[in-house]
Amino acid sequence: MPSIKITLNGREVECRRGQTILDVAKAQGVRIPTLCYHPQVSRTGACRICLVRVNNTMFKTACTEPVADGMKIVTADPEITAMRRGILEFLLAEGDHNCLYCEANGGCELQALCHEHGLDTPPPAGLPRNARTRDVSSSEGLRREENRCVLCGRCVKACGEIQMNRVWDFAGRGSHAHLTTGVTDVLGESDCVQCGQCVQLCPTGALSFQTVLGRGQAWELTRQSSICIYCGVGCKIDFFTNRDGLLVKAEGALDGPNEGHLCVKGRFGFDFVQSPKRLTQPLVRKDGELVPATWDEALDRVAGAFGRIKADHGPDAVMAFTSAKCTNEENYILQKFMRAVIGTNNVDHCARL
Amino acid sequence: MSATTDIREVVAKYGRRREQLMLILRELESRSGCNCLDPATLREVAEEMNLPASAVAGFVDFYTMFRTAPRARYMIRVCKSTPCHTAGAIDVFESLRKLLGIGEGEATPDGLFYLERCECLGICSVAPAMMVNYDLHGNLTRRRLARIIRSYRESAAADGRGSGRETAAAATIIDDARQTRRLLADIGRVNPARIASYLKHGGYAALRKAVATTPADVIAVVKDSGLRGRGGAGFPAGLKWSFVVKGPMQKYVICNADEGEPGTFKDRVLMEGNPHLLLEGMAICGFATGATIGYIYVRGEYRRSIDTLQHAIDEARTRGCLGANLFGSEFSFDVFIKEGGGAYVCGEETSLINSMEGLRGYPRFKPPFPGQAGFQSLPSTVNNVETLMSVPLIVERGADWFKEVGPVSCPGTKLFCLSGRLNRTGLVELPMGATLREIIDVYGQGIRDGHAFKFAQVGGSSGGILTAELLDMPLDIDTPMKQGVTLGSGVVLVCDETTCPVDFLLQTLAFFEHESCGQCVPCRVGTAQLHHHARRLAERRAAPAELDQMLEKAQLMKKASFCALGQSPIIPLTTLLKAFRGEFEDHCRPGHACPACDRSLAQYYRSGRTH
Repeated sequence: MPSIKITLNGREVECRRGQTILDVAKAQGVRIPTLCYHPQVSRTGACRICLVRVNNTMFKTACTEPVADGMKIVTADPEITAMRRGILEFLLAEGDHNCLYCEANGGCELQALCHEHGLDTPPPAGLPRNARTRDVSSSEGLRREENRCVLCGRCVKACGEIQMNRVWDFAGRGSHAHLTTGVTDVLGESDCVQCGQCVQLCPTGALSFQTVLGRGQAWELTRQSSICIYCGVGCKIDFFTNRDGLLVKAEGALDGPNEGHLCVKGRFGFDFVQSPKRLTQPLVRKDGELVPATWDEALDRVAGAFGRIKADHGPDAVMAFTSAKCTNEENYILQKFMRAVIGTNNVDHCARL
Repeated sequence: MSATTDIREVVAKYGRRREQLMLILRELESRSGCNCLDPATLREVAEEMNLPASAVAGFVDFYTMFRTAPRARYMIRVCKSTPCHTAGAIDVFESLRKLLGIGEGEATPDGLFYLERCECLGICSVAPAMMVNYDLHGNLTRRRLARIIRSYRESAAADGRGSGRETAAAATIIDDARQTRRLLADIGRVNPARIASYLKHGGYAALRKAVATTPADVIAVVKDSGLRGRGGAGFPAGLKWSFVVKGPMQKYVICNADEGEPGTFKDRVLMEGNPHLLLEGMAICGFATGATIGYIYVRGEYRRSIDTLQHAIDEARTRGCLGANLFGSEFSFDVFIKEGGGAYVCGEETSLINSMEGLRGYPRFKPPFPGQAGFQSLPSTVNNVETLMSVPLIVERGADWFKEVGPVSCPGTKLFCLSGRLNRTGLVELPMGATLREIIDVYGQGIRDGHAFKFAQVGGSSGGILTAELLDMPLDIDTPMKQGVTLGSGVVLVCDETTCPVDFLLQTLAFFEHESCGQCVPCRVGTAQLHHHARRLAERRAAPAELDQMLEKAQLMKKASFCALGQSPIIPLTTLLKAFRGEFEDHCRPGHACPACDRSLAQYYRSGRTH
């Protein structure tokens, strides 16, 4: 792409044709506030928060407007700030935004924008609200509180462009616009597979996880990175624990092979980690009861039993079924063990998730 | 619900492509017998077309002509837009309520009639108006209403052909020889249902002439003529055509016939009065831009226009005026019709394209412009009906002929749609730059019933208010803009001194809230808040400071909205406020008496409904 020159806040910078103003600003370390924009999905331009002044004549949304040679861009001045504040005031009046009882508190992009733009009073009483149906419990995994929705459309695109499931769409029109998940508009009755991608992209508390409910707001959670144990993809997951050390939420990390995406298992299948029912030491059955044992005792018991079965019925009487939770190396060792030590090809694996 | 066999049959008839969704749903709704698309039907349509259920549900929810709850065999839609409002739409609604014994959103027990309100139906010269399924009726009085209802009780098809005679194209044109009739010249002379009649009057000669030249020649003559878009924005047509991307890809010509601006009815008259002139203009545009397919996006309310055009297309194909290798040239061109579903915003060209693709009518951000990536992401030229119909005349008679009338910056004629409190209403064609005084005094024959002129709304709901001191301003594309108003689509809605500007503003702002698509924040919330403030004014509960708040909000919408819809409410607001500040301030006093506002409030805001 040929290089062009634009003026960004009075400074001449080089950029490429095809980049948006936002792309260039990011590359130059200039932050332009955004709301409906998300790097993982296509451009929308609906929230109008990222409006910047172009060539002193017009306002354009930085997230959609391509740069042109000689373009003069101002990303912030009193008029732009006032416009952004006006848009935020509109949003606050339209919805029901109260950080006191919102899970997203501390992780909410709307909250951060309001803070940044100096909004310090609730919207005047009596202004019309776009009151939408609450659908907080129909889905087992996802919590939907649409009165906190800013209709940015990130969920629609997360579902349609990342998960390719196309469950979400807009319905209604104008001040009655809202989201729908099908003809009945009940999330729990839709084709949603609960991958949680929409929740992860939601900038507010409109979509959240049932697992978080009452267990901590966003600001109270600590993030720890890990790798998913379910299958061979090896998704990178950010796990969130609350102040009691309880694991409450999983998010796909952008820098993993999953690029932020998770499936329903990776998203919700972490309750075993802190389950009291989890095995923490070997158990052997004595007189019909499972009792704690040492590793030596347990392994001797297994080796002895395998040897006996092989001697009585031949090696093909034994088979191994391994788990996708194991690493490739562990799986390799097990099939090697079956072929070289037991002497059978009876090997299978559950990686058909 | 619709029978599965019905759904399969209809989907098979139109094909599974998403762009056919509007037609499929419309036919299923007609077949339902109660004008309804219930959820079970939608689910099955989605399955049959391999679309997400949410997409079909969201689509139906966007277009106001569709309903998911049962209505009745005949749905009666009473227009409430400003031209009908000033002509007594409330009386019509009240008469119907008494006549049928039902209120808004209700059906008669026999399942025959369902009553609802709607925005502009495009027959504003015979306001107040209503639509019964696809039949349009104007000049409604209590007696006429009784007669019309009786005719449906005795069973009438209501497929558009039963529209009142007063709505016919030729009847809509004001009979006055002082006009400069160019586009209207042949209406009434040419039989729109007979291509032979059009050919006899020299039809398709311009296309024949064009295909013998080069696309560059055609663009040059259109550029030279100075023809500017007649849809409202006034962009030079030849320049737009020259921007269309060149290359071997499929290209399209799209005719914007989603005439939704309250008070506008010119495109309907043109399409129904002389459909072949439009087809010819589109073909010439196709030749100039390298497009071989044309689409006419006609608003769903214009059933008769759609039928007239379809018949014209069929005839043109048989006579070799559309199809392959036109007039012995290499150039091939065909035209298809797309239908709207009741959404004003679809007059915005990118919303229109989304709607054509079977999507909700959300505007797209520009760039890319339609000329780069339009319908199906391919280069498309979008022009208004009036613009495209001017093209054959320019090609045939030359740019100089076109420039003989009108100012240098925007030559040619303009169709003006006269409605409101005039002695004579209808369509006139005058040189661009005619004055309001001339239009009112000569063609409108003055204000009705001896009343006095108060203001005229020019350019439709998104246009501005002109008061007496602007009566001599030339109505062309550029001059009104200097006064903060727009010529728009050529609406001239005249109001006399009985009109309350607050009530007028209330109807206008209710319209914008109703028609906002809801995609961008400033328009979605702004239109609702402006409407809210206007209602408080009408209720005489507003504080004077709210007037300035309204201006601030409208200003924010103008600067920050995604498309022209949200950028427009400031125009009627500022012009009305400037002209009638005193009356607005009067409405801020709780004791102020205003029967007009009282009436609107009682009519439109009882039982907590917003509009």
